[in-house]
Amino acid sequence: MTTRHIVLTIRIITIAAIAIFALTTPGFTSQLSINALLNAISFIGCVAVGMTFITLTGNIMSLCLGATLSASALIFLASLSAGILPAFVLTLLFGIVVTAVQGVLIGYFRANPILVSIAGLSLLIGGADLATGGVRIYPGGEGLQVFKGRVAGIPIEALYFFATVVIGQFILSWTRIGRAMTMVGSNARAATAAGISTAAAVTFAYVIAGACAAVSGILLAARYGSGDMELGAGYDYTAIAAVLVGGTAIQGGSGSVVRTLIGVTVIAIIEVVLLLRGFSQQLQYLITGLIVLSVIMLHTIGERR
Amino acid sequence: MMARAAKFLLGPAMRPFTIMACAIVVLGIMDRGHGYFFSIGTVFSVMQLFATVGLVALGLGLSMLVREFDLSVAGIVGLAGCIAVMTGVENPWLGVVFGVGAGVISGVLQGLIMTRLGLSSVGVTLGGLLTLQGITYVLTENKTISYPNMAVALGLNEPVANLLSVRSTAALAIFMLAALVMTYTHIGRDVIATGSDRRASRIAGLNTDRVIIGVFAASGASAALAGVLLSYSLGAASPVALADVLAPAAAAAIVGGVSVVGGRGSPMGIAAGVLTLCILRSGLSAIGVAPHVHDLVTGGILIFIAILDAPDLARRVTTWRLDRAERQTTARRS
Repeated sequence: MTTRHIVLTIRIITIAAIAIFALTTPGFTSQLSINALLNAISFIGCVAVGMTFITLTGNIMSLCLGATLSASALIFLASLSAGILPAFVLTLLFGIVVTAVQGVLIGYFRANPILVSIAGLSLLIGGADLATGGVRIYPGGEGLQVFKGRVAGIPIEALYFFATVVIGQFILSWTRIGRAMTMVGSNARAATAAGISTAAAVTFAYVIAGACAAVSGILLAARYGSGDMELGAGYDYTAIAAVLVGGTAIQGGSGSVVRTLIGVTVIAIIEVVLLLRGFSQQLQYLITGLIVLSVIMLHTIGERR
Repeated sequence: MMARAAKFLLGPAMRPFTIMACAIVVLGIMDRGHGYFFSIGTVFSVMQLFATVGLVALGLGLSMLVREFDLSVAGIVGLAGCIAVMTGVENPWLGVVFGVGAGVISGVLQGLIMTRLGLSSVGVTLGGLLTLQGITYVLTENKTISYPNMAVALGLNEPVANLLSVRSTAALAIFMLAALVMTYTHIGRDVIATGSDRRASRIAGLNTDRVIIGVFAASGASAALAGVLLSYSLGAASPVALADVLAPAAAAAIVGGVSVVGGRGSPMGIAAGVLTLCILRSGLSAIGVAPHVHDLVTGGILIFIAILDAPDLARRVTTWRLDRAERQTTARRS
């Protein structure tokens, strides 16, 4: 047995163990807990899908997606007075512009992605405070119902998330620029030599990340009916954890949106199971942290060269 | 002559100090002689801020020197603070020992995992960050723990020579120590060598694994001390309040001239980077501008540095200029 076989076996055993652990937990299969699970994965999932593109192109992570999410939620709530569709489009554009600017700096000038994202975070927090004066924003119009409630028993948030996953995976595997992103992440110089515009691929990856964060912001704004800059605080770390647990390589070049879907789901299942089994909040944090750490170790052992 | 001076001032070694000097001059001009900025109070509050952010930035910066990225510093600050507050009621020194000890242990463990298994630091320390946060939650039972020994809290914030507190003096001393070790001992050269080219260093006979484990231990200890000092001086520790120290610390280290590709940077540069951010925050609030100005200015400076440091900037600008010149010539010809 090679290392690859061992790692594959361990992975299958891990997933099977989580599945058995979940299914034997009383109440896990109830409609209520499934809906809680779907809701939990939807908000963080959209951000994690966006983060996947950033990690995949070799830019490690962004510390700015959580703030982009919050700011998008504010824009969405404030522009609702113009109608639900214009507000949706405007918010999406806003998210895209915020990260596209960062993508241009990182793609075309090869600026340091972590520093650029911290700068973006600072500017967004300052800009939001300037615009709102630091008060909570409430919806300026009607129509939030489009983004919450249920269709055929499934929370609408989850449908938007699954649509995001499908579109994301489609771009990644079936479009030229999507495949270019993976190549840029695995070897930027080889990609350039092959005639791929690495700068355009990186910029586009950031564009997608911004759009995903904006969608998550809209869903959260609709869910809570109000918003401030705290809405997305901490989402960056949870999102990158989901990306890594899913098995996308931190150095880029290997990974997919579906893997991130698996990562988000695994983390959410663990949290729901711990909750249902009556673990205290603090033990839930600790156990989730330990599991994330060991899963990341497992993946990187399998993929190291 | 001018060009040479500019090159010297903006070169990698001097730039953190140039930026800091610029920040002081601009704030001094904005103050328009009111004396709000050039006051003992401002210096004191800058140094108080320095004591908190500085040691975390030092830890993170050290890990960046060997081309790694220690995300777990954010978790260690919280955990060490809680441990110190819980164990140091009778004897504060005991709390310091346990808190900093926890930082060293977490750094060594993560360093061992990375070097023995050949893993990247972002993944391992992200897991470490989440685990450390979890441990902090379990230890504190998700509550704020108050520190009854008020004498220590007051003593730490006691002014020294009007400008410093005991706490900021301690932080400065650690920076001095780090600078001496990095400049005058072989450890410093080993760290820089490991960060510049790990393979070459290993071939040259350097035990790079030991250097990396050592750097992560130092990084953990430094962040832990920041947490211990902060929790003592606040007289309380809580698992959530300290979570968002990572972004300012990373920004400070990069402004301080630490390069993410490794092998470049110094403790004194990091100190200047931290001071720049602290001067902006305290200085702007001292001269009475709205809080959001600080975030916008900081963001602007970070973007500026990111662009200035970008390796492809010169190439892009040259290509763009040549293109334009060519277009002009063809336009003139036709």
